[in-house]
Amino acid sequence: MIEQDVTSEEANYTDFSVGGKKKWINLLKFYLLPTWRNPEFTAYENEIEKIKSKRRLFRRLLKPLTIIGFLMILFIVILAVYGPWLTEIPLQQVLLPFVPPDGIPFDEPSLEHPLGTTLYGYDILARIIWGARSTIGMSFIPVILGMGGGLILGTISAYFGGPVDYAMMRFVDLMYILPFGILTFILIPLIGGGILTQLVIFGVLGIPGNIRYMRTLVLVVKEMVFVRAAKTGGAQKFKIMFKHVVPNAVSPIIISFFGGAAATMLGLAGLGFVGLGDESVATWGTDVFWGAGQLYSGRAAAIWPGIFLGITAAGFMLVGDGIRDALDPRFHK
Amino acid sequence: MARKQATNMIKYIIKRIIIMIPLLLLALTTTWILSHMMSVDPVLNQVGITDPEILELERQRVGYYDPWYVKLAIYLKNFFTGDWGESYVMKKGKSVFTLISEIFPKTIELMILPTILGPIIATKLGASAAKHKDKKRDTIIRFIAIVGAGFPIFWFAAVVQMGFGVFIYDFTNGQLDVPVMLTNTPGISDGYPGPPGGFRTNFRIIDSIIYNDQIFLWDTILHLFLPTLVMVFISLSGITRLTRSSMLEVLDQDYIRTARAKGVEETSVINKHALRNALLPSSDKIIGGALGAFFGSLFIEMVFAYEGYGYYLVQSVLVGDYLLINGLTVFTVIFTLVGTLLADVMYTIIDPRITYK
Repeated sequence: MIEQDVTSEEANYTDFSVGGKKKWINLLKFYLLPTWRNPEFTAYENEIEKIKSKRRLFRRLLKPLTIIGFLMILFIVILAVYGPWLTEIPLQQVLLPFVPPDGIPFDEPSLEHPLGTTLYGYDILARIIWGARSTIGMSFIPVILGMGGGLILGTISAYFGGPVDYAMMRFVDLMYILPFGILTFILIPLIGGGILTQLVIFGVLGIPGNIRYMRTLVLVVKEMVFVRAAKTGGAQKFKIMFKHVVPNAVSPIIISFFGGAAATMLGLAGLGFVGLGDESVATWGTDVFWGAGQLYSGRAAAIWPGIFLGITAAGFMLVGDGIRDALDPRFHK
Repeated sequence: MARKQATNMIKYIIKRIIIMIPLLLLALTTTWILSHMMSVDPVLNQVGITDPEILELERQRVGYYDPWYVKLAIYLKNFFTGDWGESYVMKKGKSVFTLISEIFPKTIELMILPTILGPIIATKLGASAAKHKDKKRDTIIRFIAIVGAGFPIFWFAAVVQMGFGVFIYDFTNGQLDVPVMLTNTPGISDGYPGPPGGFRTNFRIIDSIIYNDQIFLWDTILHLFLPTLVMVFISLSGITRLTRSSMLEVLDQDYIRTARAKGVEETSVINKHALRNALLPSSDKIIGGALGAFFGSLFIEMVFAYEGYGYYLVQSVLVGDYLLINGLTVFTVIFTLVGTLLADVMYTIIDPRITYK
């Protein structure tokens, strides 16, 4: 009866007060009967413990480096969201079809252009602010694609085993020995198209690594008792896989999301740096590519976009590390 | 027991080599198909658009209109008989094999120091970060490692280049001309020491020692200084983070507590008991890192205009020199396969608990 009262939605915290009408009887019982505890009081204590453990998780997250990481990401997100308020130059005036008529390429910083200008006389600050949107958006699509594909295929591979697993692993081996860089360099000019194709290629090439990772995770969970129970209960294979196995194996791969996003961002920037990037989108990689050739006149053109790229990638990595450390049961006592 | 393990090991190695062959074939075919489907036209890049008739003749000469299976069969036959073809656009008429034997020593010269120095410094940093967890030193080391991992390689290279090339130059009022750096190797026509046509290892440092060419030696070393500096810094970050996390895990183990309880000194607890066990997961990463350095070196070679593996790879992809692409890719694939096999064999030596069946 009492437990029902506690879990019902109308229960408020005043109901947990030790005592109430039977205060004296409960106190007598507590003193006289050994190992007797007031059930209301126990429930109240459990409630407090829950809040405490949440607080502990939050406290574990708040290490100085993780806070720095959160601040870095917040800064970039503010740039991306409030971009139009931060710069007066519209996006169309820093992209390729438009060439500023009176623009001086790689100019020194001035009042009009606080960070100087880059190729064709575009304003660097405007390109950085508009680039925040595309960079953040671009880094998520390939990671989601790669993680989703790896998750499904890796689970199937590990769960079925046998020839399916063998074939999948040989495919993964092939993708591992073919260098990622060469594949992207060849595939992107080959398929052509804009930024979307590049993102899809990056995502697809990220699948093999995720397959391998997910496979090791599923192989552990597969042997656990509840999977056997589900099998005995007559559950279908795919239901076991995606309702019982995946939710219990998936958390490490979700934590690796942040690291993956950082790596993708750097990869795409590298692509832009080599000169294969899509120049119809304002990205920081292309900015660095334009600036790096200019040793003497346009130093800022390469340095500033690189700093923003680094801040974003380092922020993602710091937050990823922080979350992993906070959730990992090995690191706290 | 040991003998049985040795025979097992040999069996395992043979098995791995047998698996390698179909993988190599598959990789060859895949790269061939990809490089032939490229949208870049090598003949157009070589001949130019001026005369359509010459273009047509040239296309017929190189077999542009052959069916794809004929091309693939010819390519595979030539590959296994040792004829890797000739570079078509980059260095016209030069055998791909000769070109690769000239390119790879340069990249290896660039990579050798970072591959050795990086892990040594990184394990020390990672161990000391784990020892002082959540203290000031840990925070500083982690921050440096994150900066190394987060900021792009090419950006670092460009900044270092600017720093040494512009700011220090400005600071000294332009009087920083080491004569050796500006001589740019006089009297050497093709960029190698020694008489043309003489014996060469293609490693420029070794060659210049053989022929006692001191100017060339110092010139090479000075040119290698900045790229190597950047590569060492980049290769630090990954291994530092890995060593730190595995070290934290090991320091929690019971045998560390036992060692401390029986009165072993703290330095030898860290260096002997903990670090050796923590190194196991990162030893994988060290060989993987050496392979990954190839792609790190790609950007560094681009920035420093260092004509090694990465520079040629990017340029050949951009102009569509497909035989050179294939040659470089195949070489990398063989390198990767042998490297991973070596890593697996090394792993049993480092960790005797692992046996292969």
